[in-house]
Amino acid sequence: MTPGKKRLSYSYYPGCSLHASGREYDISTRALFKALNVGLKEVPDWFCCGATPAHNVDELLSLSLCAKNLSLAEEVEGDLAVACAACFSRLKTTQHHLKEDDTKRKQVEVAIDGPAALNKPVKHILEILAREFGLAKLEESVKKPLMGLKVAPYYGCLLTRPPEVPELDDCEDPSIMEDVLRALGAEPVKWSHRMECCGANFTLSRPGVVLKLSNAILESARIAGADCIMVACPLCHGNLDIRQKEIKEAYGAPDSTLFGNIFGSELHGGSAPDQRDLPIFYVTQLAALAMGVASESLGFESVITDPKPLLRDKQLL
Amino acid sequence: MSRIGVFVCHCGENISRTVDVEQVAKAAGEIPGVAFSCDYKYMCSDPGQTLLKKAVAEHKLDGVLVAACSPRMHEKTFRKAAEAAGLNPYLCEMANIREHCSWVHEDRDMATAKAKDIVKLMVERVRKGKSLAPITVPVTKRALVIGGGIAGIQAALDIADAGHRVVLVEREPSIGGHMAQLSETFPTLDCSQCIMTPKMVDVANHPNITLFTYSEIEKVDGYIGNFQVTVKHKARSVDESKCTGCGICMTKCPKKKIPNEFDQGHGMRPAIYVPFPQAVPNTPVIDRENCTMFQSGKCGVCAKVCGPGAVDYEQKDTFTVEDVGAIVVATGFKLYTIDRKPEGSPIQGYGEFGYGTIPDIIDGMTFERLASASGPTGGKILRPSDGKEPKQVVFIQCVGSRAREKGISYCSKVCCMYTAKHTMLYHHKVHDGQAYVFFMDARTPGKGYDEFWRRAVEEEEAVYIRGMVSRMYQRGDKIVVMGSDIQVGVQVEIEADLVVLATAVQPQDGADLLAQKLGISYDKYNFYSEAHAKLKPVECATAGIYLAGACQGPKDIPDTVSQASAAAAKVMTLFAKDKLERDPVVAKVNEKYCVGCFACKKVCAYGAIEEKEIRDRQGNLIKKVAYVNPGVCGGCGTCQATCPSKSIELDGYTDEQIMAMIEAL
Repeated sequence: MTPGKKRLSYSYYPGCSLHASGREYDISTRALFKALNVGLKEVPDWFCCGATPAHNVDELLSLSLCAKNLSLAEEVEGDLAVACAACFSRLKTTQHHLKEDDTKRKQVEVAIDGPAALNKPVKHILEILAREFGLAKLEESVKKPLMGLKVAPYYGCLLTRPPEVPELDDCEDPSIMEDVLRALGAEPVKWSHRMECCGANFTLSRPGVVLKLSNAILESARIAGADCIMVACPLCHGNLDIRQKEIKEAYGAPDSTLFGNIFGSELHGGSAPDQRDLPIFYVTQLAALAMGVASESLGFESVITDPKPLLRDKQLL
Repeated sequence: MSRIGVFVCHCGENISRTVDVEQVAKAAGEIPGVAFSCDYKYMCSDPGQTLLKKAVAEHKLDGVLVAACSPRMHEKTFRKAAEAAGLNPYLCEMANIREHCSWVHEDRDMATAKAKDIVKLMVERVRKGKSLAPITVPVTKRALVIGGGIAGIQAALDIADAGHRVVLVEREPSIGGHMAQLSETFPTLDCSQCIMTPKMVDVANHPNITLFTYSEIEKVDGYIGNFQVTVKHKARSVDESKCTGCGICMTKCPKKKIPNEFDQGHGMRPAIYVPFPQAVPNTPVIDRENCTMFQSGKCGVCAKVCGPGAVDYEQKDTFTVEDVGAIVVATGFKLYTIDRKPEGSPIQGYGEFGYGTIPDIIDGMTFERLASASGPTGGKILRPSDGKEPKQVVFIQCVGSRAREKGISYCSKVCCMYTAKHTMLYHHKVHDGQAYVFFMDARTPGKGYDEFWRRAVEEEEAVYIRGMVSRMYQRGDKIVVMGSDIQVGVQVEIEADLVVLATAVQPQDGADLLAQKLGISYDKYNFYSEAHAKLKPVECATAGIYLAGACQGPKDIPDTVSQASAAAAKVMTLFAKDKLERDPVVAKVNEKYCVGCFACKKVCAYGAIEEKEIRDRQGNLIKKVAYVNPGVCGGCGTCQATCPSKSIELDGYTDEQIMAMIEAL
């Protein structure tokens, strides 16, 4: 800590997933912030942001849920840190909409019985790491650089889109994940599918769609030579991690019409197609690992595609 | 007591829809000094003008007010009618109850009340108005054409053929513009070079045309009939009067690997070069930024090998002042690039297409160079990355154009046709290849155009897919193009060897800066604005300046040539008279009260104010006062507002008139 400079401190909105299927994202976020000596105080009594379903059913409800959460966050000091890409998107979207539409803002303020906290700064964890904590300081703080780890940074749909809402990075050609990975000592690979959709919550209603889209993402990460994928969204994590076995069953060998040329001849010299398991990491898991946090406290045991063999192989465990 | 006539126009329904014109006419009739008032459906029509003339005679009117559209639209029309009726034309004024009232309001009662107010105060202006006589100024019968593409070339040749002298200024080392880069042209597939280069030679040989290439407009002074234009002649480093165009300097130049702009960066050129073999003039220029001599002082090969000693490393930029009477602006276009969005630009880039990082995604102009016999591949369609012949080519229309979310909402007009042409050229050269086109609409309004497009689809086997592309990425040596086919309702994925983007047509870089020098207006995209979208499509609102070609909006060759000839015809009309009459709305100085502080001189945007000495009979200097050159005065009124002693006034907008208008409210 530089003397005279106030310790960075944030209010924190984990969101439902981080208390359930994505608990390792929550655990690792807290561990990382502790390791970096950055304050993180959970917003008391927070509830669901509405996620994808709410705004498809009732716009006023979806805006009000987020507005209420924002006004609860107002009571905790510090900008609001959000880890889940969907919560981040919903909270930012609500602020954006209500700033532009006075009529809606008034309706929402009646619904939540108080003013909407439109100016509470909402920050994604990536933003905090790269810009507020700072890449240089992040690099300095690394205790165990992720040397030799080839990571496919996966942004998904919501982190940067639509461009006027999250204002996180260039909407179609961002670099913030790559920057963070480099600071951690890892090697971000250049790949084609970092902005594609994984199928999101169709995972329940139309799993076939998710298998197809997630397969394309995993395939292209393998082609790029990645050892693993880094995400910032519990839903993306779920689809890419949990469904890997099913995807292999459904698609088996890579689609010969799409990948025939590359796999059949040039790259693999006719050898068996690439079927490697790809562990899926949250950005905070990798960052905390690099900060020297014990791997036992990062939730690696609660994922399906076991990352430990890879980490052992790279001497990171 | 004055006898003013007020004529209220319905403008079809444009005014009467929201303004009760009968009531306005009735209320006007009750203003003291108004001797006659009426309303009529179309005041600007022949019966409307006749109505005005008859009323002037019958009611012995001494002033006329027409409440209708903007004076920019029809002031001239009604002043002419008033003059025909025997009135001084400057005693006829217009009250703008269309643009300033009916078009911008919805409430009929309030709009009517506002129209009555506008009429009331304009009646006061007419009442205090004075008869004015037009000012005559001489005309310099010499034209300036800015830009040496097909638009500028056509305009220059037409004016020169009519017997007038023309100065043609081109920024690049050669004239020819974009048309010289094209392979074959739609809808007839004739070779662009074959129809373009003879015209370039005509320009060079025409006795009435002075050609300045590698030159730019530095400054523009003056006004219609009397412009003084400062032209900057960039240092070519080659003396044009000595160079024979033998080309030995180019063959001996040791630095040969500079991407050739003419070939869209896909061919190479030396540091001393002509942009292309058919360049006019055939005089090389040294690209100082890439020349070893200029960068390190060690080389000088071109000077050593040049027989006539034309290479001159010491040459400096020079300036000339050209006196001209009319200016044709023909600065053309550039193509939108899909690069990352520049800082502060409202236009977004195409990150989803990789921001131009995939070498085999090229733009339409690059494809023209690949298809051109004089291009970097000698006319063979070979892709940039590995020089292989592409067997599957995807063409994407409307990249940048008609994409509001990307910041450009207009249609670029030429892309539908040139993409159809590209598929044909490709089919002619790669018989076993397949062309796909992603398109929103096929817009083919032009003579022979739709027939041409149908030929591409029906006979030349191009597969047209209605839908847009969402993403492209490299997979191995292929480009995966992901798009949608909205007619079938499915998503489409094509593995392409080459992708050609029909990117939007945009005005040239610096178009806004040139407009500011010329004092002409431009839209939010920097396209130059014509004086009237329908009736004055080649004139600028600034008198004496005309537009030709794509600098005014996206245009194909036939339209560009037509507009260039139209602009030339306007210049000839101007040059048909020896003297010009111009509006007498100019500032005048009351020398009795002027104290010679010259505050007016400091604020005058036109440089119209001079210092005048007042002497007694013995020749002793009594005082210095301001004098307004009526030929230069733009009639803006800034001096009038600035003058601390109220001794400078604009005719037609005197303080007395303006105070009377305010009091009437």
